Amino acid sequence: MTYRCNLQCPYCYNPLNLAAYRNELDGETWRRVVNEAADIGVLQVHVSGGEPTLRPSEAVAVVEAASTRGLYTNLITQGTFLDDTLLDRFIAAGLEHVQISIQAPEAELADRIAGTNVHEKKLIAIERVMKRGIAFTLNCVIHRANHDMLPQVIELAERLGVRRLELANTQFYGWAFENRAWLMPTREQVRAGERIVAEARERLAGQMQITYVLPDYYEEFPKPCMHGWGNAFMTVAPNGDVLPCPAAASITSLRFDSVRERPLREIWESSDAFVAYRGTAWMPEPCRSCERREVDFGGCRCQAFALLGDAGATDPACAKSPHHGVIAAAVEERPTETFVPRRMQTTTSA
Amino acid sequence: MLRLAPGVRLHQEEGGVAFLLIPEGVVELSPTAVAIVELLDGARTLDDVTKTLAERYDASPDELRDDVAQLCDEFRSKGYLR
Repeated sequence: MTYRCNLQCPYCYNPLNLAAYRNELDGETWRRVVNEAADIGVLQVHVSGGEPTLRPSEAVAVVEAASTRGLYTNLITQGTFLDDTLLDRFIAAGLEHVQISIQAPEAELADRIAGTNVHEKKLIAIERVMKRGIAFTLNCVIHRANHDMLPQVIELAERLGVRRLELANTQFYGWAFENRAWLMPTREQVRAGERIVAEARERLAGQMQITYVLPDYYEEFPKPCMHGWGNAFMTVAPNGDVLPCPAAASITSLRFDSVRERPLREIWESSDAFVAYRGTAWMPEPCRSCERREVDFGGCRCQAFALLGDAGATDPACAKSPHHGVIAAAVEERPTETFVPRRMQTTTSA
Repeated sequence: MLRLAPGVRLHQEEGGVAFLLIPEGVVELSPTAVAIVELLDGARTLDDVTKTLAERYDASPDELRDDVAQLCDEFRSKGYLR
């Protein structure tokens, strides 16, 4: 809906040039886009940002348009503007799921990461959402600064009575890439995390679903990013640009089409950006002859671009990549003590 | 008595393709899975479901019992059923 947000989380995957997206689509255009999406077989709509509730009427309009067409709707929000009135509007519009993030299990660290005092407000919002009975997922992005508090995050989720917990090891796009040296967990933290989550899953089986994916920097094979480029997902940015994934604007060699200019079906089927890495024909070796090529699709284009300057290269997170060394180097990198807070006016990091 | 969990919806398209719509994804369902899920209304037991399907498919309940139990087990552990 927007890249505006009142939080300044250093792991945000939104683009650094936030100010370039100020020309936001209006509600009428969003309704059209949602209907075009339904026409081409989209099943789910995630309403996010930035902070989508900074555009409450438009966000509700998207949910309403989607719901009318039978699409599943998910609101991804930091929750602090989700008062009873707005929540009622969303529910009346047909909203089926809410995800609220916390930055840490306690206020001091959480507010330091978020750059503003929101933790207590979030807990109130979570309670409010859960009282309504609408499906709810608690999200916490995990990185070096809060990794050691995983048990407390799980404990907090339990105390709140949460049924779905998403522990999202940070990925490194946008602001997160800028802040990678501050965010990168240690190998010991990642190992410990595996154990902690495994134990919690067993203990909480049937009571809480825990999603936990290991950071790909510590894995042998890359993640099957988006289930393949231009395969199952698309992102409509606040200004109407249609992207194969939320981070794709970082790939400066690609040209994106806008819903302001072309119908969504056309963009999905024949936009340069979507065609560029769809399927397997674009793949270089070792991906081209690899038995995993339709398992992980060569990994992540944005990551290949960020690390190697070439969006068409094998994701260096893959051990088979000739450039896998950049990942090892990143993991060994000296951690920094400070981070660049996510802000509309970018400043270069110190 | 099992039923779809809040935030999980059965979606069927023309041509018979069916999905469970879940909070952050989509699960493709076989026709048998659809039949089972449709019967799980929170009032039916697994036994009820097995018997109903046995009649529908002209099979014996014993043949279907394990498959029904297995699917329900899997879907419950993934949070789709409660």
